[in-house]
Amino acid sequence: MTALDQLTVRVGPGITGLVGANGAGKSTLIKILLGLLTPTSGRAAVLGLNSDRDGERIRAGCGYMPEHDCLPPDVTATEFVTHLGRMSGLPPTAAKERAAESLRHVGLYEERYRQIGTYSTGMKQRVKLAQALVGDPQLLLLDEPTIGLDPAGRAAMLDLVSRIGAEFGISILVSSHLLGEIEQICDHLLAIDGGRLLRSDSMASFTQVSQVLLVEVDEGTALLEAELAARGLRPWRDERALLVQIGSGETYDLVRDAVADLDLPLNRLEQRRRRVEELFRDGADQEDRVEQEGEA
Amino acid sequence: MSTQSGPPATRTGVIHDIGYRHYQGPRLGRAAIIRALGWHSLRSAFGIGRGAKAKIIPVIAFAIMCVPAVVNTVGVAGGGAQSVHYDTYVFQLRVLVMIIFVAAQAPELVSRDLRSHVLPLYFSRPLRRLDYPAAKLGAFLLACLALLEIPLLLLYLGEIGQVGGGAAIWAQTRALIPGLLVGLAWAVLLASIGLALASLSGRRAYATGSIAICFFLSWALAGLLRGVTSQNGLGAGAGARLSGLVSPFTVLDGLRQWLGGTSPGPLPRPGDFGVLYGIMFLLMLAAALGGLAARYRKAGIS
Repeated sequence: MTALDQLTVRVGPGITGLVGANGAGKSTLIKILLGLLTPTSGRAAVLGLNSDRDGERIRAGCGYMPEHDCLPPDVTATEFVTHLGRMSGLPPTAAKERAAESLRHVGLYEERYRQIGTYSTGMKQRVKLAQALVGDPQLLLLDEPTIGLDPAGRAAMLDLVSRIGAEFGISILVSSHLLGEIEQICDHLLAIDGGRLLRSDSMASFTQVSQVLLVEVDEGTALLEAELAARGLRPWRDERALLVQIGSGETYDLVRDAVADLDLPLNRLEQRRRRVEELFRDGADQEDRVEQEGEA
Repeated sequence: MSTQSGPPATRTGVIHDIGYRHYQGPRLGRAAIIRALGWHSLRSAFGIGRGAKAKIIPVIAFAIMCVPAVVNTVGVAGGGAQSVHYDTYVFQLRVLVMIIFVAAQAPELVSRDLRSHVLPLYFSRPLRRLDYPAAKLGAFLLACLALLEIPLLLLYLGEIGQVGGGAAIWAQTRALIPGLLVGLAWAVLLASIGLALASLSGRRAYATGSIAICFFLSWALAGLLRGVTSQNGLGAGAGARLSGLVSPFTVLDGLRQWLGGTSPGPLPRPGDFGVLYGIMFLLMLAAALGGLAARYRKAGIS
């Protein structure tokens, strides 16, 4: 089975988002970076070390938060994080101190003396983050840290990740299948699909691509599509509506004028963020569009 | 942090965020991490650091294992002869206690981590794949050794406390050493098989069950085979002498007798077949260790 195919990418310090649909190869990429999987061809360098040969040294400088549940229910968070601190190579006393500190940084105070089995999903996610943080890594690899959380929990987790990146000076690679979610906190974004790189870009240029305008008319969709194309936009269909890339403020005016001139019954006009799946579906197509707009 | 403005009464309970501090201290290498994991596992093999319930089986097993040594000491003090031998101890009791201890505690070391999917957290740290099972095996080996050898040492102390003269003490010591080696062989084989079987299942009950069934059935089968082959009027014929090859316990005893153990065991003396017991011991050990290594080489990170 091929999970990653011909992926070449370079990521600098700061917070990097890794987006892709489920099964796109996000977790596989993270495992290769940790030296836990060996790529059949090619190589990965992390912190300047080769993931094939120096897996141990890479792992000494990395903290990893897996996607799935990985906590024993019958120990306290303090015991668990302390033990994993030891496993990161900290001496006993240092492990205790760092465990208490990491748990405090992720927002677990008195609860940390309770057994993990009694925790809510949000608290469990925080323990998972704390165990990744306990060894004071240079790089954190977070695999879907917001999975299973409610909206408030997601916001809190993202805020925490963003703080760790900004204030703690730790570089972060954070994966998610929701672009809308991690784009708020990332400096750089990687999009992969089917194991291939779709885009690797700074956040600013990514957001530009992801802004679209949705136009829905009760009738005459085809007519409007032709009219918009004639006015220099490149609309595409999304079920009953039309989507238009938002290039600049003029896009709104063009759409409004086109609808008004054709005298069509406008049903809906909304600014939308392209879902990441859409970005995947016509990724190549989209790239083409952006280039053309750049030239125009 | 000296710029406190509000009245102190409203500030109680506020934890000041002193910010993130990077760790500047020493970092231990891989060997030290393996030792730490081994120590952690050894403690958990006796339920230390866990609830009272986790300590019940190890403590009872250890206490029962020590009873013959105490009884022997009391008997010798009353003028009796030594009734418990160093190289066999009390064979049936030893089998029973070791089955219970291994079946109950091997899953404690490995099945819990499988159950709660903790392994990725170990494998994403500066350890190699096989360091984890190696640390677990080392810990469990020590735990089994404690259970097998401490009663022997008690037996020895009870004896030398009551015999007089250097020659008698020397004789006791010479008898003890093969006993300790037999205990070592037991610990190595049983710990390996126990952990290999336990590592197959994340469910404690299944792991415990599979170990208990495997040990009990093979032990019963060895007894059955011996009975059947002896009833044919062959006495201690080839069949009876080979019957022990099916169970780890009888293999251990065959190995002991082949290597010169003199006390009567559950098997007829294997005689020329002794070497087969040596080979079987190595085969069983290799299978258990190979299985354990394969399990953790394959065990996914996810």
